[in-house]
Order: sequence, then C-alpha cells, then structure tokens
Amino acid sequence: MRGVYDEQALIPGFPHHRQNMELSNLEMLPGRSIVRHLGLVQGSTVRSKHAGKDILAGFKNFVGGELKAYTELLNESRKEAIDRMVQQAQAAGANAVVNVRFSTSNIAAGAAEVMAYGTAVVVE
Amino acid sequence: MSYENPPLPEEVNVGRENVLLEFLRLAAGLAVVMALISAAMYFGGSRLARLIPFDTERRWVGERVLGIEVASNPKHAEVEAYLRGLTARLAAQMDMPPGMELRVHYADTALPNAFASLGGHIAVTRGLYERMDSENALALVLAHEIAHVRARDPIAGIGGSASMILAVTLLTGNAGNLSAAFAGVVQRGYSRRAEEQADEAAIAALRRVYGHAGGGAAVFEGFARWRQEGHGLQGPSLLSTHPLDEERIARLKQAAQGWDAQRQPLVALPAQK
Amino acid sequence: MELLIQFGFFLFLLVVGLLFGSMNEKRHFRQLKEQEAALREVMVFNERHLPEWLEVRQAKLVVGSVVIGEDYFKRVAAALKSIFGGRLTMYESLMDRGRREAVLRMKQEARRMGATMIFNVRFETASLSEDSAGRQQAFSAEFIAYGTALVPAAPPA
Repeated sequence: MRGVYDEQALIPGFPHHRQNMELSNLEMLPGRSIVRHLGLVQGSTVRSKHAGKDILAGFKNFVGGELKAYTELLNESRKEAIDRMVQQAQAAGANAVVNVRFSTSNIAAGAAEVMAYGTAVVVE
Repeated sequence: MSYENPPLPEEVNVGRENVLLEFLRLAAGLAVVMALISAAMYFGGSRLARLIPFDTERRWVGERVLGIEVASNPKHAEVEAYLRGLTARLAAQMDMPPGMELRVHYADTALPNAFASLGGHIAVTRGLYERMDSENALALVLAHEIAHVRARDPIAGIGGSASMILAVTLLTGNAGNLSAAFAGVVQRGYSRRAEEQADEAAIAALRRVYGHAGGGAAVFEGFARWRQEGHGLQGPSLLSTHPLDEERIARLKQAAQGWDAQRQPLVALPAQK
Repeated sequence: MELLIQFGFFLFLLVVGLLFGSMNEKRHFRQLKEQEAALREVMVFNERHLPEWLEVRQAKLVVGSVVIGEDYFKRVAAALKSIFGGRLTMYESLMDRGRREAVLRMKQEARRMGATMIFNVRFETASLSEDSAGRQQAFSAEFIAYGTALVPAAPPA
C-alpha cells in the first residue's frame, strides 16, 4: 500500500532527506486521516540541455522514437520541481502533499518549464 | 480538521545563481572555445591549402590578379621592366622552388600598397613606388612579397579563412556580425606571424644582393607617419595586417646594424618621368 | 566600422535590458511580497473536497491571469546558457513572478466578492513566443490561476 505514495518509486533518485514527505495525486492518503490543510504549494524549474544534445535530438527526430536526452531533461526537471514543492510544504509544517498535479510548458527550443503543485497537509 | 495558509518560503522556485556573473563567465568561456576552434580550423585549412601544387594554383588563377586593377599600360612599360629585373635579381638569391614563376605588376593607384596574390602575382602601386627613396627600400618590399609567394602564404590565407568561416558559420548558424569579426581577429594573429617570417627572408635577401640590409627602416618610418596623419582607417592591407610599425622599424634598424652608409651607399631608383 | 556599430548597439540593448529588466523584477518581487501579505486571509487549496463544517453562501469561479515577457538581457543570457545546458535561472524568476501574480489576482477577485477560501485551484501556462508562422519571438507567456471561491454563510469564528 505504502509503495504507491513512495516518491522513490515515482521518481528515481529523489533526494533522501525529503523521503518522509508523502505525495499523492488523490485528495487523500488512504488509511491516513488529514488533520490540517495548509494550502497550495508549488515548485517549478526551467532547464535546457546543452546544444550538442539538442543537435543529436534533432537528428533523432528524422527517424522518430524516444528522444532520450529530452526524456532525461524533463525527468530531472520534474524531480527538481517536486523537490521545490516539498521544500515549501516542509516550511509550512506539512508531512504530505495531496492532489499533486504536473504541468510542462515550452519556453524555447530545447528548454522547458516543469511545474508541480498540490495541497500541503498534515496526516496522522 | 483545520484549514490554514501559513506563509511559504519565497525564493524556493528561483535558483540562487547570480545571472549576470554567470553570463559573463559563460560569455568568456564561449569566446575562448570559439577562438580555439577558429584557430584550429584556420591552421588546418591553411596547412591543407599549402598542399595544393603551385602549378595547379597558377592554372586556376591564370593571369588574373586578385584584388586590384593591374591592366598593363604601355605608359608604365619601363617601370614594369625595372621591377621585373629587380624581382629576378632578388628571387635568384631566395632559393625559389623550381617552376615557381613570379609576375610583377605596376598598379596606377595612389594608395601606397604592395601585395602578393595567388599564382605568383605581385603588385606594387604607384603610391608605394613614389614613396621609395632608394632601390634598397623597394627591394625590401619586393623581397617581402616574394617571400610570401615562396611560403605559399596567399593560398594558405585563403584556405585558412575559408575553413574558419565555414566552421564559424556552422557553429553560430550565420556568418553574421560577431563571428565574422572574430574570424578577422584570429586571421590577423596568424598572418602577423607570416609577415614576420617574410620580413626575415626579405632582410636575408637584401644582404645577399647588396651586402647589407640598410635603407629599409626609412620606408616604414614614412608609413608610420602617413598612418598617423589620419589615413589609418582606410589603410592599405599591407599596413593593417602587418606587425606594429614600431616593432618592425626596430627590427629593420637592428638588421641594418654595422651598415656604413658612406662605404655602402644606397642604390638610387631610376629617374622617374 | 559597421560591425563595431552593430556590436555597440547590441551591447547597448543588453545593458538597457539588464538595467531596466532587473529593476522591474526587483520592484515586482517587492510588490508581490507586500500584496501576498495583505491577501493572506484568502486561503488557497487545490483540493476539491470542501470542509464538511463549512456553510457556503456563494461559490463562484475566480480567475487571475497575467502575461509577462522577458527582457533583452534574459533573452541573450538564456540563449548563451542553453549552449551549455542546465538551469535557466533567468526564466525561473520570470515564471515565479507570473505564477504568483496570477494567484494574487485570483485572490483579489475572490476577496472582492467576500470569499475567504478558494478550492480546486489549477494553473495553466501558455507560451506566446511563437508568431503565426511558428518562428520564435522574444519569450512571453500567459499565466492563469483559477479555482472556486467560497463565500462563507457566516464570518469565520
């Protein structure tokens, strides 16, 4: 049951010191009860790959398939966005973030913003 | 169940880097990388260009002289004959490779200039010729250009710049503004070395022909003056890519040490009509 | 000579962008801080379930939006940073400003109608930096925050 909310399963390489923060994109944590709602928290980051990888990805676009460089870029960004959201939640005194949403927006060729937001809560 | 909104830390979502410092650092880094790539491309391109046989270069260029109008004018037949004779005397002392034939042209232009072009063509302008106060000075200029031809500097310069501009264009996406200026700087650095070598060869040739290397420094002192008078910006290529005047004058004076102007007088130019 | 003029013009734009851009940004962050403190009484959550004890007199969709554009310095600095890759801090501050401003405007609208809570808050970002032919222009984006504002039946205890 717990594994579902384990961000290590969700995002490989997630920083260890934030592992006690529970994340869920439900509005609750099954089996736990929410005692305090601490409001909206959000984290976001903008990143780009270096030009060499952009060029390689451009070539890859001729034949299609997974653009590994960009998958990696967005995964790293997502990790950081969650990390920043969790920082806000920790500062608010929360031990879980529920109803987590992601959003990605295109900034420039090869650069993207990834954002994560949710509601910080205290669960028991 | 309570609902509240405690204050949140503010700067979580903005990185802590100083954007301006980072910008300056990256710009400097990029400039260094570009300089290295440009220099490597110029070096490689000029090396490759030197591999082209002189015969091929000559056939390719034919009788055209790049960069200046040198249509033969019967009015200047005498000067051209004199220049050809002087060039032949100098070339005989400069270990020219077999088959490397030189062609000297006299260009009726007021701008003082002399240059070596592709295919062994050498041009001297009226402006330069009239400013020479002795045959020794003219011989220094000619020997300098002959040394360029012998070293294959014209084709090496073209090959180097072409490959460098190609690389810079591929990297930056256009040959525009900054990259072109950049290419110019790298090229200048390289041609300066070629100029110094040509000067050394010219001084050696002068010593063999006249027994001394005197009379050259005066020419460049004249040019330095001419440039200070405000002609610098529209300066001829002979001056702009050449080593700093002072350095050059100092080297020529050093080369002329031990020359006794009384016992070894300068040779006069033929009277001009 | 022409090159020098072009380069000078580029430097001029860069410095103007840097000076005015960072001035604007500093001022905006200061305003955000003040207004966020003033609007603390309007609480935001992105949950859909309302507190059971809350008696709602009125519920209404509230939207806050803002379009923010980059300055010339950010543009050049981001292009340079993209060659090497990594975090584009100059855009992170832009995104942060846009999002906080959108939330603020949403909260202002909620307060005007007397609401004290906004639920089910969602964010939306639309990049406006492409022209109709799909070419990249200077970067600008619209930030939208929207949610359901709740006016309680009785003033909160």
